[in-house]
Amino acid sequence: MSADLHGSQRAVETLVSKLRRRQVVGSREAALETVLVLRQVVSKARFSNIDQLISLIRSVGKRLVEAQPKEHSVGNTVRKLLHHIREEYNTAMTGNASSSKTVYSISNFVLQGQPRKQNVAPKSEATLTLKENDPDDPDSFARVLKPVLMEAIQDVLDELETVYDNISKNAKDHIHSDEIILTIGHSKTVETFLKVAAHHRSFTVIVAETGPSYNGHEMARALSSAGISSFLVPDSSIYAIMSRVNKVIIGAHAILANGGMFAITGSLLAANAARVHSTPVVVCAGQFKLTPLWNLYHDFGALDFADPSSVLGFEEGNLVDKVDVLNPYYDYVGPELVDVFITNDGDHPPSSVYRLIKETYDDDDHEL
Amino acid sequence: MCIECLKLPPLHRHCDLPAKIVIMASEASSSKGEFDIYQTYRKILDDEEMSPPLAAILSLSQLMVESNAGTMFELVKELHDGAEELKRHTTNPISLNAGCELFIAFVTLFPHESDSFAELKTELVKQGQKYAKEAISYRNKIAELMLDFIKDDSVILTHSYSRVVMRALLHAHKTKRISVYVTEARPRGLGVKTHEVLTAVGIPCTVVLDSAVAYVMDKVDFVLVGSEAVVESGGLINAVGSNQMAIIAKAAHKPFYALAESYKFHRLFPLSQYDLPTHNPSILSFPSLPPRPFVTPPTTSGVSPPIAKSGIDESLNVTPTSSSERSMSAEMTAKNPDVDYTRPDLISLVFSDVGILTPEAISQYLVAMFAG
Repeated sequence: MSADLHGSQRAVETLVSKLRRRQVVGSREAALETVLVLRQVVSKARFSNIDQLISLIRSVGKRLVEAQPKEHSVGNTVRKLLHHIREEYNTAMTGNASSSKTVYSISNFVLQGQPRKQNVAPKSEATLTLKENDPDDPDSFARVLKPVLMEAIQDVLDELETVYDNISKNAKDHIHSDEIILTIGHSKTVETFLKVAAHHRSFTVIVAETGPSYNGHEMARALSSAGISSFLVPDSSIYAIMSRVNKVIIGAHAILANGGMFAITGSLLAANAARVHSTPVVVCAGQFKLTPLWNLYHDFGALDFADPSSVLGFEEGNLVDKVDVLNPYYDYVGPELVDVFITNDGDHPPSSVYRLIKETYDDDDHEL
Repeated sequence: MCIECLKLPPLHRHCDLPAKIVIMASEASSSKGEFDIYQTYRKILDDEEMSPPLAAILSLSQLMVESNAGTMFELVKELHDGAEELKRHTTNPISLNAGCELFIAFVTLFPHESDSFAELKTELVKQGQKYAKEAISYRNKIAELMLDFIKDDSVILTHSYSRVVMRALLHAHKTKRISVYVTEARPRGLGVKTHEVLTAVGIPCTVVLDSAVAYVMDKVDFVLVGSEAVVESGGLINAVGSNQMAIIAKAAHKPFYALAESYKFHRLFPLSQYDLPTHNPSILSFPSLPPRPFVTPPTTSGVSPPIAKSGIDESLNVTPTSSSERSMSAEMTAKNPDVDYTRPDLISLVFSDVGILTPEAISQYLVAMFAG
């Protein structure tokens, strides 16, 4: 047993160092890795009540988040899993005994206004016999609950694996024939979205080349190989061509609780230009990018910084020590600049992102 | 309240359970044969930390203690009458209304599990008093939520005096360097009080004229105001001047944050300033001047005599009656509103003890809460 425990511990440490060395980058990849590690942790864990399990997951989550605080999807995945675990536990317990008697008080009355997910389909049958802190058989609790939890974790995993398809399923309703779409960066989500739409409609995509990473080049290549007519333009011409664009479709790195988002540099430029021309800005993003944070945008440093050599390399040796070179990787795009978020859980305006977050995560997990 | 806290000035107390309030309330009523809800209410409000909605809830609880209603219907009617009575006595019943509304909705929706009606009544009274006790600590919760939004070296603009804003500022002061501009907030001039308190604890604070809000706006990082009530549209009712502050903040792209305890959520949907319950025909009314004497139209010769010019000169030559101290008379002030309504689109976020909410969230919250 202790060897197994070491095994899951090692998996955690491996992911921590991978995150730290940026061998795992991109929000979906980080989320996937996190679920896999947590699945291992849960399957090996020994616990005799729910609090032990939750604090175990939290401590693993905290380590992962601290390894790379700017990959928000890691923390989000941990929070989502905690939420599912509590839900499964609660349904199992209510079947067990009528222990959960709601207390009526004015403060609870006020809390009725809190947004809640309406219909949850719990995995566990109410027939499970759960017994917490059984002194005779401390493992019985874990033994009964584990299969249900593994199923819940599998659901999260499935959701991550099908996220692109689910976002794209309504793609043809968002793009009309002969439209001109502007996009920026190379977002897998947007790429799939456009490709799916291309099965039904013919449209033109203008891709900004997105310096200094020039991800736009790959995007344009990917789209044109799928038979979509695409143009690659320099970032500096975004404003000039905006008057001809019907829709801006971009990806996000993380969506914040106020409806704002972090997205690749240049997104703010595109979104502002779109605002001036009243062009709709559509953001495609998986639900795992919803982040229960409001205030990150205060800090310049909250945005990730990339390698400055792509802005000013050592070829310019005589300049390098005379200037500070910054290469911020993300822009903060405020909620007023976004028209709609297309997620695998439906389409939402920025103003209702807070509700999605309340429904997806538990309030006490915001701080891991 | 613990002994330690009693020695401290109210703003520094770390625990502030209003132990004496319940006692005060019962004193007020037992001194007279007839229960006077308004006297009870005033007595409770004497406590510096009490806010009108909570005082209203406590008064209504006290009313229930005194009441000899035998049925739910009678009890609810008495509560409604009590709320009316309170409303009648105050000029600005908005936040009081919010408290009454919450308590009455709770009483009507409270599940009857008690054996007898008397038992149910004592249970309801207990709930009311318990809530008032715990609700006092909501300000600390809000101050804690606000903390993350205040970065080091922030310059904050606030309006008038609000206990929850003070709590948030003092809490932030413990860990961050902040400086505060506060408006004078005429006619009550409560901004001066804010200035006094903040200066006393060492927060750099400057009082600005209400008319200088636009001038100061470029210097501030965000605007922070308290509230009388938060309404169903997601908008805000607060001391007059908040609306203009929000408009200017919006124009300058500065965040406008409102702090509101959840007992200030109010089911009201004002569409304009004049829909507020505080508005009455005398506010902003024009004086009825004696009818002007008929003026003969000027001759069409086109040569206008220098009447206008001499008019100006005349007015300038008038001996300065009170040029050093030109201020509004009491009746001028009386024609002005106490509170105004700020539209939801001007508000960035509302901080409350139930979490950080966007204005849209407030409307959904209120609907869900009273849907039962």
